[in-house]
Amino acid sequence: MGTTLVQVTRLSVRDFLHEWRMSVCFVLALAAVLAPLLILFGLKFGLVDTLRSRLIEDPRNREIKSVVSGRLTRDWFAALEARDDIAFLLPRTRAIAATMTLRPAGSRANVTRVELVPSGPGDPLLPEGATAPDGLGTVVLSAAAARALGVGVGDRLTGNVTRVVEGRRQAAGTDLGVAAIVPDHRFARPAAFAAPALMGAVEDYRDGFAVPGLDWPGADKPDAPRVYAGFRLYAATIDAVAPLRDHLNGLGLEVRTQAAAIETVRALDRSLGAVFWVIAVIGLTGYLLSLGANLWANVDRKTRDLGILRLLGVPTGGLMLFPVVQAGLTAVLGAALAGLATLAVAALINRMFATSLAEGELVCRLLAAHYLLAVAGTLACAVAASALAGYRASRIEPAEGTRDV
Amino acid sequence: MPSIRCPWKRCLKEVSAPVYQVAELSKARVQAGSGFALSVPELTIRPGERVALVGDSGCGKSTLLDMLGLASSPDGAGRFTFCPRGAPSDIPSLWRDGRSNDLGDLRKHHIGYVLQTGGLIPYLTVRQNIDLTRRLLDLPDDGTADALAERLGLAGHGAKLPAALSVGERQRVAIGRALAHRPPVILADEPTASLDPETAKTVMALFLDLVEAEGATLIVATHDRAQVGRLGLRALGHDLARDPAAGLTRARFWG
Repeated sequence: MGTTLVQVTRLSVRDFLHEWRMSVCFVLALAAVLAPLLILFGLKFGLVDTLRSRLIEDPRNREIKSVVSGRLTRDWFAALEARDDIAFLLPRTRAIAATMTLRPAGSRANVTRVELVPSGPGDPLLPEGATAPDGLGTVVLSAAAARALGVGVGDRLTGNVTRVVEGRRQAAGTDLGVAAIVPDHRFARPAAFAAPALMGAVEDYRDGFAVPGLDWPGADKPDAPRVYAGFRLYAATIDAVAPLRDHLNGLGLEVRTQAAAIETVRALDRSLGAVFWVIAVIGLTGYLLSLGANLWANVDRKTRDLGILRLLGVPTGGLMLFPVVQAGLTAVLGAALAGLATLAVAALINRMFATSLAEGELVCRLLAAHYLLAVAGTLACAVAASALAGYRASRIEPAEGTRDV
Repeated sequence: MPSIRCPWKRCLKEVSAPVYQVAELSKARVQAGSGFALSVPELTIRPGERVALVGDSGCGKSTLLDMLGLASSPDGAGRFTFCPRGAPSDIPSLWRDGRSNDLGDLRKHHIGYVLQTGGLIPYLTVRQNIDLTRRLLDLPDDGTADALAERLGLAGHGAKLPAALSVGERQRVAIGRALAHRPPVILADEPTASLDPETAKTVMALFLDLVEAEGATLIVATHDRAQVGRLGLRALGHDLARDPAAGLTRARFWG
């Protein structure tokens, strides 16, 4: 039996090579249907997933902004922070008190007025690995502010705050270090990200109080808990934005979110996903049917040759193996060709869109797992169809199979 | 034989045992509204015999040859044993039990076939076609195929594919393939019908020489009565009765 199967395999390969024109046609036909399917999968897992991860990863889509000034206490913040759908929360001082004039240390040029944004460790706008602003001595600049000032990370700045007390204009200054730069796509306006301590100090000075930590003069601050005008809030995921918005609305706070835009994109993503799967299922079904039909017809074409092998004593297993070997060759060569074509097309597509993509992003990405799944599915279908056809051929009596029609 | 203790006698007994013993064998076919019924009341073929099934086209000789070649199942059989070497096989029970691989093994080991139109494998060379029956039995390449090719006048054609040969050459390759694995039984269905009369005579004479040299049992189906007498074949008894009213043709072979 073992030697017979070796003989049959040899005969099958010989026939495949002898009929090379037909074999090339089968391989091309297989690759021609499989390659577009692979490219479709590549687009789905490249383009759609890139857009989705951009949507999810872009912190601006997870931001919930307070619209009007409120009077929020530390207890209020502690209660909100206890929720588990919050990624980042800091209190905001009054907008009118959250500005500062900056210039590079020791220079009179490039004087720039920036807004102050409360920040700290875990701020989603800070670049990966950047140092967060800390205490009264450091700030993180937006790229726009850094350009206007002509400074970079590690440079020193002088920050100035002004106030009007009893009709007289007063100013105070302090020395600040640049801890990091926030890129433009994260924050477009000139701004300095400051720790809550510095935010509070500036607000206190504006209100006419002294700031002992910075040696800024003024009246003594009465011993009362601070009340905040608003907050900087980021939901943990885009899914948490709408529930958080509803929660805050329930507390009587008007907020602004990207929830509507998120819902639109998500609906589009769902529809695109559904369309993709419809096309994929139709394409795959058609592909497997055409593959099976092709291989079945191929066995039909060889009924007489198989009948002669049957007459000469090749057993049922051998007759099934004969078309299976050829189907396997067709499947492997066709899938390899389709894989190469897909890689080439994917490289072309990715180069066309290279300028609008960030590092590591691809429009067309064929995952190894998907390709291997496609090869395995192709092989399984090819082997099943041809083995079945071979079995049917072996059921024909040798006398019938070899008779001339 | 009263005793089989003596190995010599046992041997003698086996040699003399008939290759085919058939009784009450029948097979019916319905084709295009007309029926055809073949029956074999009794048939015995002994080792080394050279038998001819003679009759016109449609007389059932190919149908009988297919059944004797274990390539087609009988409808019914009182008895049908095939005993090329050693123990006899009960053919109808193998068909009934669907043991097609066992029938295949009997064909592979014991029978050589010469089909009417060659039946060569188109993707194998002349040499590979002749050698195919040996390779399927895993027999060593001992020069048998080359010797046969030379004897059959195919010496220069070994590397050619069947498509490059004339019809007569193809038929000679088919004869080579039927003989290469030295089967004890050789069946030939109109082996020379597609050749011109002169070539047919030469090929047939060559074929019989080779079969005789092997000492094999031969069964030939042919429409050529003159050939049967000339070559000294034993023709089986045969009659054919047509019944136009019932649309039935009854054919019988015996001997």
